[in-house]
Amino acid sequence: MKRKHLTIVLFLVLATILSLSCSKQKDENSPITITIWHDKEDVVVDVIKQALEPLSPDIVVNFERKASLAETLKLVGNNPQTAPDMYLYAHDKIGVYVEMGILEPITNLVNSESIETLVPMTKTAATYKGKIYQLPIYFETLLFLYNKKYMKPEEVPSTTDELLTYVQNKTKYGHFGYIEQHSTPYYFGPWINGFGGKVIDEEGNPCLDSKETLQALAYHLKFVKYMPDETEYATVNTLFSEGKAHTTIGGPWLIPTIKKAGIDVGIANMPIINQTGKPLTPYLGVQGFQVLKTGVQNPEKKEAIIKILQILSSEEVEIKLALASGCAPAREGCYSYDSIKNDEIVMAMRNTAENAVPMPNIPEMDVMWTVTGNLLTAVNMSGKDIETSAKQAQEKALSLIENMK
Amino acid sequence: MKLKKNDSFKCYLISSPSLALIALIVVFPIIYTFYISLTNMNTYHWFNPEIIGFKNYKQALFVMDSGFLKAIFITIVWTVVNMVFQMVIAFSIASLLNSPLLKYRRLYKTILMFPWAMPGYVSILLWKTGMFNSQFGLLNQWLTKLGFSSIRWLASDLSAFICCTVVNLWLALPFMIMIIDGGLQSIDRSFYESATMDGASTFCKAVKITIPCLKPIIGPAVIITLFTTFKQFDIIYLMTRQPGSQTGSTIQTIITYAYENAFISNNYGYSSSISIIIFIMLIVFARFSLFTNKKEEAL
Amino acid sequence: MKKKNPLKIFTINIFFIIACFFALLPILYAFSLSLNANSSILSSDFSFIPKVLSLKNYKAVFVEKPVIMWFLNTFSLAFFTVILSLSVSIPAAYMFSEFSFKGKKPIIRILILLYSFPSILSMFAIYKLLSNLNLINTRIGLVIVYTGTMAIFGLINMKGYFDTIPNEIEDAARLDGASDFMVVRKIIIPLARPSIIVTGIQVLIYVWNEYIFAINFMTGSDKFTLASGLYTMQATEKSGSWAVFSAASIVISIPILTIFFLSQKYMISGLTSGGVKG
Repeated sequence: MKRKHLTIVLFLVLATILSLSCSKQKDENSPITITIWHDKEDVVVDVIKQALEPLSPDIVVNFERKASLAETLKLVGNNPQTAPDMYLYAHDKIGVYVEMGILEPITNLVNSESIETLVPMTKTAATYKGKIYQLPIYFETLLFLYNKKYMKPEEVPSTTDELLTYVQNKTKYGHFGYIEQHSTPYYFGPWINGFGGKVIDEEGNPCLDSKETLQALAYHLKFVKYMPDETEYATVNTLFSEGKAHTTIGGPWLIPTIKKAGIDVGIANMPIINQTGKPLTPYLGVQGFQVLKTGVQNPEKKEAIIKILQILSSEEVEIKLALASGCAPAREGCYSYDSIKNDEIVMAMRNTAENAVPMPNIPEMDVMWTVTGNLLTAVNMSGKDIETSAKQAQEKALSLIENMK
Repeated sequence: MKLKKNDSFKCYLISSPSLALIALIVVFPIIYTFYISLTNMNTYHWFNPEIIGFKNYKQALFVMDSGFLKAIFITIVWTVVNMVFQMVIAFSIASLLNSPLLKYRRLYKTILMFPWAMPGYVSILLWKTGMFNSQFGLLNQWLTKLGFSSIRWLASDLSAFICCTVVNLWLALPFMIMIIDGGLQSIDRSFYESATMDGASTFCKAVKITIPCLKPIIGPAVIITLFTTFKQFDIIYLMTRQPGSQTGSTIQTIITYAYENAFISNNYGYSSSISIIIFIMLIVFARFSLFTNKKEEAL
Repeated sequence: MKKKNPLKIFTINIFFIIACFFALLPILYAFSLSLNANSSILSSDFSFIPKVLSLKNYKAVFVEKPVIMWFLNTFSLAFFTVILSLSVSIPAAYMFSEFSFKGKKPIIRILILLYSFPSILSMFAIYKLLSNLNLINTRIGLVIVYTGTMAIFGLINMKGYFDTIPNEIEDAARLDGASDFMVVRKIIIPLARPSIIVTGIQVLIYVWNEYIFAINFMTGSDKFTLASGLYTMQATEKSGSWAVFSAASIVISIPILTIFFLSQKYMISGLTSGGVKG
């Protein structure tokens, strides 16, 4: 009896010692896991995974695709257990998250060279209240696309008045000279920016009833009259892919679908607005990595994140990412590579980036999307008077921004 | 004498799991929302809100402008129209389903349940882009083939309202049909037999036998459907208001109005106060319309 | 002898065929879209039978996405939710139906009112609750949330049906010495079968198609349910295709339809097949 007891006790003691020492060893060798949230396609993520391979097994990067990343991040942002360490997303939400207090300035984690070699506009996009919170990787703008079957490269209108004439002549028998998502704020960007107007300024004051905005709305309306009613992506995509629309302003994401449908698509510079002499200037959307404060609390994790960001700032990685996503790399140096120089779409976006306006990243912008959308709907689809609608929209915007506080 | 009065403890005990879950998942959020509505939780005070009393409610009352009143009106019309149509159509279909003349009853029933099986937002998307789209929606394609001009279905308030009603009926009828069908089967056939022997017409039988017998069975379902219709957000929002795919109609229910005026501003304190206000309005509405003595018997 | 009027039979069948067509319209549209080989675009030249048939969209659904895994996730969630929901609601509904006790009427009133609060508004609060209990990202947490959301519905719906079961049947059983549990098991459940099945199916459909809570509460794409997976497949500007999306929608709806079809014969209540003639 005694022996039995003794053996059991000895066994238990041994097991405890072993497990304790095992777990100690595990701690020393266990890899650091960094979680990155994103909403991108597998194609893009695979490139990042490959690039980060050299860091394993010490650093393991865990990618999670989140369909409603912005909302979920709000819920978990300051909870170290459920929040990610970094996320890959557009720059326009930076303001909201900074005010919530969950973002870490990226300048604490990358060397100055990584920042200096960025395309200037992307740096602007990543800055909020003077600090930089994003490491831009690639960006996109809208492009002027045309169907080569109906329009030869020489015939592409260089001014908007020329485009209007084309539209007036060619929009008949089920064909459209020019279509776009006319009542979607993002696509109204080229028009409002081209007239020098803004949806909202840097201080957070909405400018929906400014003179320039009214001009943009009135001029834009002339084109809308020749477009189909719906403003959604499905309509534009289908009509263009079926060859029923001759030109459009769309994003680079439109191109693969159109090509698959067999359309010979051409890219051209944005037409210049006769009244202002400026071209249609679309919004710039920059995708990049943001780091959460919860991710850098642990010094080991901070080191790991610094290493990750270093790899991701390299020109080769950015080129691969840009090509995989169909967008333009954010680093100046990339543009001396042949693979980029020969890509018509990327170069077109780079040109546009010279003048493009980054989407405002201030928190107040959040409410502007709906208000501007309603304004556009009222003017374009319900035929309401421009001045009154703009005034109402401006009041609504002001009250919504008031409500934010 | 069936009902025992001295078993309160036993009743509560056995109902406790259900009640506990309800307390946790339904009651607690409401209380928590009320708590948040008293704070200043917004973008600038996201993780550390402070209590500011009823300021949010004062702010909320300023939202009650003409747009809000119009939204209330439309919500009531929406609920009434939908409920009436639902009850009438569901009753007719369910009665016909139980007709002895029908051979393929099971097949028809299953097919009629299809709308129920598909995820709601998918159906709404299909209706919006597949049916009502003015360029290539099915309805307009058929119209143009028949020689008529295409209609902008969702562009004007009235036709958008009708389209949303159609979609709502499409989504909600299967449930009601099922319930009424189940209820019809529980009515004792002998009632009908003796009525026929007394020479009653079909219509008379329906009114004097079917409807009174059905009332207690479908009472709860009607109430549930009433509230579901009232708080319906998806259909109107996804069909006509979603940013990026708006259609030009301006119909709003209370919930879509609250969403566009409060929820998008990221001010949770403020949105919570609007939620509580809407909730209180619902309670008042229910008090006046439901809890007359007659209806309470049905419960 | 009832004469079978052929005209009546014809009319009634036509009526139902039209009704079914209307019920199926968008689904037929999606179905035809999913069989279309020309997968990337909608068409302004539509016919129900696509010009080029192809099953490649269905293949894409199964190959490109871990649909089987999603299915298992959803199935386990739905199974546990329905079981938990019914086992919790049936006793409660019985108590509320059969017995009168202090506070019953007010509680019922309150429950109905509570049902009017939209559950989306509760998401934030429930998230805080679950994260404090460390139940975020767990199946149990989600099951509890789903059961709670449908608890009021289950209770009220079944109570209504239980109310119509004549007391004489129960009295007879009790006189024979049956305990409450036996009354429920042997009498109430068989007689209330249609209501229980309807409630169960409604809960099933809710869980099957629910994506808002699933997306926010479960991190990690291996925990995706069918509904949340479908949501990510939407044809937005940047990704996805309508045809594959339609194919996926149809695939996801089939299990529910099968269950419904199979459960049809149990929908006939025991009341009509004998019992007590009052």
